[in-house]
Amino acid sequence: MVAARALNSVRAIFYKVPRSAYVIGTLLIAVAFPMLNAVGVVETAWIRVGVLSLLYAMLALGLNIVMGETGLLNLGYIAFFAFGAYTTALLSSPKFDLHWPFIVLLVLSALIAMAAGFFVGLPTLRLRGDYLAIVTLAFGEIVRLTIINLPSVTNGPNGIPSINAPRPLGMKLTDTLLATNLPESLKNWLVIDKPVEYYYLVLACVAITALLLTNLKNSRIGRAWNALREDELAAVSAGITASRAKLLSVVLSAGIAGFAGCLFAYYSNVISPESFVFMQSVIVVCMVVLGGMGSIPGVILGAIVLQALPQIIRESAGAARSEFEVYRMLIFGIIVVVMVIFRPEGLLPDKEWRREAHEADPREIESTRQSLFTLEEGEKDLEV
Amino acid sequence: MGAILELQGVSMSFGGLRAVDSLSFDVNENEIVSIIGPNGSGKTTTFNVISGLYEPDSGDILLNGESVAGLRPDRVHDKGISRTFQSLRLFSSMSVLDNVLVGMHSKGRARLLPSMLRLPSVRREEAVLRARAQEILAMFPGRFSGPRQSQAAGSLSYANRRRLEIARALASEPLLLLLDEPVAGMNPAESHEVMEQIHDLKNAGYTILMIEHDMHVVEGVSDRVIAMDHGVKIAEGSYEQVANDPRVVEAYLGKRSTDAAS
Repeated sequence: MVAARALNSVRAIFYKVPRSAYVIGTLLIAVAFPMLNAVGVVETAWIRVGVLSLLYAMLALGLNIVMGETGLLNLGYIAFFAFGAYTTALLSSPKFDLHWPFIVLLVLSALIAMAAGFFVGLPTLRLRGDYLAIVTLAFGEIVRLTIINLPSVTNGPNGIPSINAPRPLGMKLTDTLLATNLPESLKNWLVIDKPVEYYYLVLACVAITALLLTNLKNSRIGRAWNALREDELAAVSAGITASRAKLLSVVLSAGIAGFAGCLFAYYSNVISPESFVFMQSVIVVCMVVLGGMGSIPGVILGAIVLQALPQIIRESAGAARSEFEVYRMLIFGIIVVVMVIFRPEGLLPDKEWRREAHEADPREIESTRQSLFTLEEGEKDLEV
Repeated sequence: MGAILELQGVSMSFGGLRAVDSLSFDVNENEIVSIIGPNGSGKTTTFNVISGLYEPDSGDILLNGESVAGLRPDRVHDKGISRTFQSLRLFSSMSVLDNVLVGMHSKGRARLLPSMLRLPSVRREEAVLRARAQEILAMFPGRFSGPRQSQAAGSLSYANRRRLEIARALASEPLLLLLDEPVAGMNPAESHEVMEQIHDLKNAGYTILMIEHDMHVVEGVSDRVIAMDHGVKIAEGSYEQVANDPRVVEAYLGKRSTDAAS
């Protein structure tokens, strides 16, 4: 009883800190992280884990739009990631001797994935729940098998090697600038080819995506998605066009996956169908569930935990390393099952999903308590 | 005062069951019409047909002279008909204010990209919508004030949930408001309050078609009453006329045994 009260008062302190403080704090830590590498505290391998975590955070942000906001389960989400990655790989590698500029490909990858999302979404969105999950699962497999069986374009299972390093300023300008006598430290950033540089590139992309999606979540469109998730019949009776709103959420989430796919192709230099197997879709779903469906900070945390955790275990496992690989998915499964039983709303839950699980949001209770307090205090003042 | 809503011989069957059988009636501007009838007499089906959840098998539904029969529910809503549900259908984990804001969906224009960038036009629209939503919630004095607005709709008391459903339906400023049993499950004091509110809505110029079982409320607010049984309109007129109509009494209570004997 006393312990519970003490715990609550400690928690209340956390809820009194404004959300923006947490966001800025997290950003500062994220920006400072690679500096630890520069001073030699952290190995470069961890920067690579950081890049992959952020890439998956981007995927989780995208999947969260359909899963968390609109309430549609997509089990073939990684296919959109593949669309983005292959678009970039084909247009920026020796394969067809095409070397399109980075910025163009970033946009084009997203657009192609969005087009794929549109054509899958159009016929399938009338399906609900499990049926939609199965159709999207099949779509994911179709895309992967097509990549494997189309060697003339995709090199089949061998994948596409030697993808160019991104030059954010474009080919010509970069070459001209490289020829000038700019300081070496600045020239490094003209061609992004080191883990630290990728880290900052992807971090910026994740931060921007998270900001845009937060705005969207609190807009008319975000509310329409939530309403459809809560009660479709009531939502359409309130004037929301279900088909259009759902299609928009699927297309947007596909676009974000395509965007992430483009960055992934550049970063990994070689892409092959192995990166786009069904298990990858499942892992992204796990990230969203673990972090908290509908919660933007939550899904980012979920992605980081599920990407970094295997690495931490691998490091500490030492000799048992190969054994761990065998159990990796088993551990993921156990984590998700435990989460669903004990904390179904996720690690950093969204307000609405928390309400689903526990009726009330502690931050809300705190603010109600405060306003009641002010109210009562005010009354007392009146009496005096 | 012209007819806002006209039903012309609307029929709706489920398999072999004629839930609504060539039903015709009008609702005039700024009028409150109540539909009464025993369970299974087709009242809610009528609502579902009007609001677009079902497409009628035959007949036509005119809103201000324009046919809305067979339109999708969201299109019907855009045309100006909004409704509440008999079994509460709130977005229960969304906040009270958000529920009303969803009801205003068709009033907003914000598109995807401007919303993501939160452009000034989007901010302005959002501020206008929020202010309007608060005005609507203020129509229920003391019920949705202050911190309550950010509470989950699901955490409200039963009566407040019913009020919130009405608020959500009002948010789009409809030409016609369909209320499906607005006082179901309320105690007499609460239903009296809702009755007053329905009066206020009429004074504010709203047109209301209502299904209700509580005869005090029906008597208290209706300009006209329609009685249904087995999908057919059996009586129409003032409350006194309908309540004393022998066919209505029969529909609720069955035939008198003396009648059966004779």
